[in-house]
Amino acid sequence: MHTEKTVKSSNEKTTAILFFLYRLLIILISISLFIPAINPARVCGLVNDNMSLFTSAVSYSALTANTIRASMRGWIQDSSFVILYISSIVICLGIIGSVASGCMSLGSLKLKRLGNLLSIVGCGVSAFGFVGIAMSYLQLEQTTKPDKVQPMFQTGYFILMGAIILVAIMSIVLLLLQPKPGEKDIAELSQKYKLFLLILPFVVLTFLFSYLTLWGWRYAFFDYKAGETLSWDKFVGFKWFTYLFKNAATRSDIVRVMVNTFAMSGLGLFFSWVPMVFAIFLCEIKNTKIRRFIQTFTTIPNFISWVLVYSVACVIFASDGLVSSLIQANGGEAVNFLMSGKHIWLKMFLWGMWKGVGWSAIIYIAGISGIDQQLYEAATVDGAGRFQRMWNVTMPGLIPTFMVLFVMGVAGILSNGLEQYLVFQNAINKNPIEVLDLYVYNIGIDKGKIPLSTVVGMSKSIISVALLFGANRVSKIVRGNSII
Amino acid sequence: MAVKLPFKNKKNDKYMSSAPKYRIHIGDVLFDILNHLFFIVFTLTCIFPFYYLFINTISDNDLVRRGLITIIPKGIHFKNYLSLTNVTDLTQAFKISVMRTVLGTALMVAATGLVGFLVTKQEMWGRRIWYRFIVVTMYFNAGLIPWYLNMSMLGLTDNFMGYIIPSIVAPYNIILVKTYIESIPVELEESAYMDGATYMKVFTKIIWPLSKPILATIAVFGAVGHWNSLYDSLILMQNDSSLQTLQHRLFIYLTKANNLKEIMVSNSAISAEIQEQLLDSKITKWTVSMVTVFPILLVYPFMQRYFETGMMLGAVKG
Repeated sequence: MHTEKTVKSSNEKTTAILFFLYRLLIILISISLFIPAINPARVCGLVNDNMSLFTSAVSYSALTANTIRASMRGWIQDSSFVILYISSIVICLGIIGSVASGCMSLGSLKLKRLGNLLSIVGCGVSAFGFVGIAMSYLQLEQTTKPDKVQPMFQTGYFILMGAIILVAIMSIVLLLLQPKPGEKDIAELSQKYKLFLLILPFVVLTFLFSYLTLWGWRYAFFDYKAGETLSWDKFVGFKWFTYLFKNAATRSDIVRVMVNTFAMSGLGLFFSWVPMVFAIFLCEIKNTKIRRFIQTFTTIPNFISWVLVYSVACVIFASDGLVSSLIQANGGEAVNFLMSGKHIWLKMFLWGMWKGVGWSAIIYIAGISGIDQQLYEAATVDGAGRFQRMWNVTMPGLIPTFMVLFVMGVAGILSNGLEQYLVFQNAINKNPIEVLDLYVYNIGIDKGKIPLSTVVGMSKSIISVALLFGANRVSKIVRGNSII
Repeated sequence: MAVKLPFKNKKNDKYMSSAPKYRIHIGDVLFDILNHLFFIVFTLTCIFPFYYLFINTISDNDLVRRGLITIIPKGIHFKNYLSLTNVTDLTQAFKISVMRTVLGTALMVAATGLVGFLVTKQEMWGRRIWYRFIVVTMYFNAGLIPWYLNMSMLGLTDNFMGYIIPSIVAPYNIILVKTYIESIPVELEESAYMDGATYMKVFTKIIWPLSKPILATIAVFGAVGHWNSLYDSLILMQNDSSLQTLQHRLFIYLTKANNLKEIMVSNSAISAEIQEQLLDSKITKWTVSMVTVFPILLVYPFMQRYFETGMMLGAVKG
């Protein structure tokens, strides 16, 4: 009796450990679906090197994007790509089966066993996909132009196949290790895992679009040009970080860009009291309807895009705009004010104000409505005039809100946003308008200097996070509560 | 914590309209006049550009070309708008913009509602970890290039889904919805569980209907964001112009005005007369701008309440 019990518990322990490894392996496999470097479906150079297995299975047009010429010349057969596409889908389906089994392994004994069966089926299905890819490769190898088609066989093929075979073996072992479920056992999942599985897709999406993006920072350490493949012989360490400061041209660029960034953020911070004053003065208008009207129409610009703000700017200030029309009507010459680089910091600040002041004021208007009426009455009794009430009652009531927003503004000093400066940028005003975000865009997307752009963006992100935590710390010390 | 909605009650209006009595000073009167004047002028600067844009697109094109329309429209016609409908390039961009706005907003709201509900469930395995995992992404940003490379790795460049999928999980909105759902009395849910309802049933039958105000708010913000978004189209859809949004096309027309006609006419079957009309880059640009801004201007006055609620909720959180 005693020995049987210990055997059973050690058996349970092995199944628990096996299940843990099993789930881990399935997670790794499903992540590998999204990594282009180990895409088993990349059997020739015509398949883009930034295609993951998942992408190959989702989009036939992306898979065959580079094959049009080759297939027209008769170097390859279309059928090999159809096989490749179907195989990718089949492998993905098989892996989805394994993922489902991994989820089911959180349930009761019966559900676990069902999951293992499903996983074995899934692995069996994937096997067809692997055969298909091999067939497609053999077909492509027959090509008359091997230098153009570049048939190749990825190590990823063997890695993924090995992993899937391992999953199948583990499933079988687990099936054998677990006791047979009794008649009364039902396939069910406990509440806590049910809820977890419901939120899992969203956690995965967050991982894909926020955390996986950080993986892109690796480009900062490589000598990479757009369209190439990353390989270790292109690893350059911190070359690009030092390059920023050693190369005279980029150094002067960085200095200029930082001056622009600080100037424009500084202007914004220096005048960040304007929305507060706007709100205080707006509340001095006693007619509710007029106030409502003003509030509605001064907040509209906040909801139109920067492209449209630029469009409005053209309508008024371009050489065929309103101001030029008026000048021409009085015998002057048409001027395109947008093409000039003069006072560009101030202009950008004013456009930002025009767009945002009405909206930013709303938070202060709500703040004013939250101020205790008795304070005003007491102040009036004490003989305070209108301005004294504004200065001594309303203002102090709004300062805490102001401080929070100001500290947040300091934390965001490097992030001016991209779109405003992008749309207003032109050949003439480029030097004074280029803020950090725009600089990253210009060198990365326009000029294709991917590593350099990544270095700048990466440094910016890290400093911004540090600033945010710093601001939070300051706020905690000064006000006793945090802002994030 | 119950979320306060300041614009629903009349608290602020009470203060404004029944200000304490004071003696009339000349300074006060002068201040009132100047104050009104300032706000009226500023409001005009916010309205007038759109009005000016509008009257110039419906007025006689000849007068517009000579810059003679300033305050009053003359020779009203809608040919400019009609001729735009022949430009397949633009109608396609309009379609894409509408589709991404509708689909993107719908999915985002549904997902945000569900996640907001799920993270209030204490019994979830690893609840705090997953909640923080999602929410902390608000505070960091890998940068433009890693984002682009990641999207291209996931096959979302030159792909309509590139607009939709990344915007499904919106951490900030999840916080708002979670806070709101926490303010709903727990008894409502508990009695449903007693009766054997599943989580999904409770979500669709109880939580979803009760959180409609907050969901409407995030829907309005989401829709405006989708409609106005430029950079994702600009960076992700570089090679496939049929997937570019209206904002992106407008940006191209505005900044690359020299070959405007070439861009617009190249792939459309258009009569010579309309081509001639499109040649007038000023009027065409302005009409496209009007088409782009119109949905916002149309919707904004009706939705203003939701926008302000959203702003307040953000403030409550901050």
